[in-house]
Amino acid sequence: MSEINLELNRIAKRFGGNQAVDHVSFSVTEPQLIGMIGPNGAGKTTLTNLMSGMLKPSSGTIYLNGRRIDGRAPYDVTRAGLGRTFQITRALNRMTVMENMMVPGLAHEPGARQSDLEERARQILSLLTIDHLTNEFSRALSGGQRKLLELGRLLMLDPSVIILDEPFAGVHPRLQETIYNYIHRVHEDGKAIILISHNMGAVFELSQRLIVLNFGALIADGEPQQVKNDPAVIDAYLGHDEDD
Amino acid sequence: MGLFSRFERAIDDGIGRRKLGYALLALVIVFFLWFPNDTSQSNYAKTVFISGFFYAIMSSSWALLAGIAGQFSFGHMAFMGIGAYVAGLIARDGLMFATLGIAITPDSISSIGAIVIGTVVAGLVGLVIGWLLLRLRAAYLALFTIAFSELFRIAMLTEYDYTGGSNGLSLRPLLQVADVDTARQIEYYLMFGLLIACLLVMYRVVQSPIGMFLRAMREDEDAASALGVNVVRYKILVFVFTSMIVGLAGAIFYSDVGSERIIPEQLEVLQMSLIIAYAVIGGMESLFGAAAGAFISRYLLEAMREVVITLPFGLTMADGSDAFVWETGAWRFALFGLVMVFTLRYMRNGLLYPIFNWFSGRDLIMKETVAKRKPDEHDMALPEDRDE
Repeated sequence: MSEINLELNRIAKRFGGNQAVDHVSFSVTEPQLIGMIGPNGAGKTTLTNLMSGMLKPSSGTIYLNGRRIDGRAPYDVTRAGLGRTFQITRALNRMTVMENMMVPGLAHEPGARQSDLEERARQILSLLTIDHLTNEFSRALSGGQRKLLELGRLLMLDPSVIILDEPFAGVHPRLQETIYNYIHRVHEDGKAIILISHNMGAVFELSQRLIVLNFGALIADGEPQQVKNDPAVIDAYLGHDEDD
Repeated sequence: MGLFSRFERAIDDGIGRRKLGYALLALVIVFFLWFPNDTSQSNYAKTVFISGFFYAIMSSSWALLAGIAGQFSFGHMAFMGIGAYVAGLIARDGLMFATLGIAITPDSISSIGAIVIGTVVAGLVGLVIGWLLLRLRAAYLALFTIAFSELFRIAMLTEYDYTGGSNGLSLRPLLQVADVDTARQIEYYLMFGLLIACLLVMYRVVQSPIGMFLRAMREDEDAASALGVNVVRYKILVFVFTSMIVGLAGAIFYSDVGSERIIPEQLEVLQMSLIIAYAVIGGMESLFGAAAGAFISRYLLEAMREVVITLPFGLTMADGSDAFVWETGAWRFALFGLVMVFTLRYMRNGLLYPIFNWFSGRDLIMKETVAKRKPDEHDMALPEDRDE
């Protein structure tokens, strides 16, 4: 099991007059499955971009396994052990599925034998049930298959913390099942997963801990059942039952 | 079973096709090696070939920069010009590094030394331009490089005391061979050798992990970066590498190997557009496609200077001749433009891509993969799931 210690200290990001992320602090120190929820515009994706190096924070610090990663280039953050997927999948279109897998493999392990990496890529593609598409250009894949390919690429990087941004969005229920299995498998391998999703059923079923954002600020952080009954969360996101 | 069917079956396993491709490639190389020894060929024909080799280096290296790495630069001819002008100026005037106490005098530097310095300076400028371009993409990158290219051309045109202005700058000849025929033959082999060497080095890069990272960068810089690819490093690297290749090619070509002087006219955007057109026609994502596209285009543009059409059915012209002679002039470029329009509309991978694809056996792998497609989740994906 790889070391896990992700620590966000009062991370903030301002775009002009808009405080997209408002001094958020939390830490991840064990291989937990963490759900991150919040209404649209709550700052979930911005926070993901800050953690993964796509954006530089206006203030605050982020440490991963003892190394400061805020403001570092995305490739550097990835190599430090934090991998992510994108809300809108970003497959390398005019490259084959295998090449899509080999890019992170070769970037992460420059000295590894190509045949070993290919073998590992095949195993991962098999786990994700898209091994029959190995030689196909990724532009020919369906949206759901691209989601699976993105998840597969992450495993080639062997990160200790994984951020999955809307992995179930627009995916057929049968493919969702494959993604469920993937999340369980990766979690069992000892990795921490931060799951961002509007699919409340999936989030509550999978998560051991929930983080809730609203207007860029963290309004709740705790066990799902506890968060579910938090009045601030109900007001901001979950809403009241009609009977209430 | 007919001969053709047997032949087709023999080669239809991909490996057979590749072998056939290598055999044809070997034949092409043998042809180019034999060509200058054919006594019936004029020196003009060899000059056309030398020019073809030079443009093949230009287009194939541009294919690496733009087609493979996705950096759509218009500065390629400028980097070539930097290599040539620096080599010429160093050999003529020398260079003084006062702070380092190093002085290069015209007497102390050889033609090869000047070419090496020209190549290195082209690479250094490529380093600076690559760094400045880090945050620019697509149209902004193209506009920046056009501006840089024009800036350099106007500087060379204006500083006529040093550069010779529109008359151009003569570089110190690389070869000192008195006999014209022998000189042309050596120049031919030199340029052909340079083309082969450049193609091999670039091919090696493209086939290495660096090539894969460059293609990933072309597809999506952010995604590549999130996958652990240091895009800053590779973006600068590809600029430096291709700048050095064209700087070297320019310095050698204009050292009286292909042309006796470099003129600012060669650095015009129109000339750069031709390099792009050759690469597009050949296949801008393929080094060999772009090189072949450039060579064939150069040859055809020369061959089409005068088109002779023999009239059928015993028809004659007013002067009694049975052939119509068409001095094509600028029309050959118009025709060339038409070919490019057709290529971009119907064959975006270039006219030669299907040929290279067939010989590589890649289409067979794709067919096999598609055949393996199971009627599974893919077919059950929701309509909105298909974002193609």
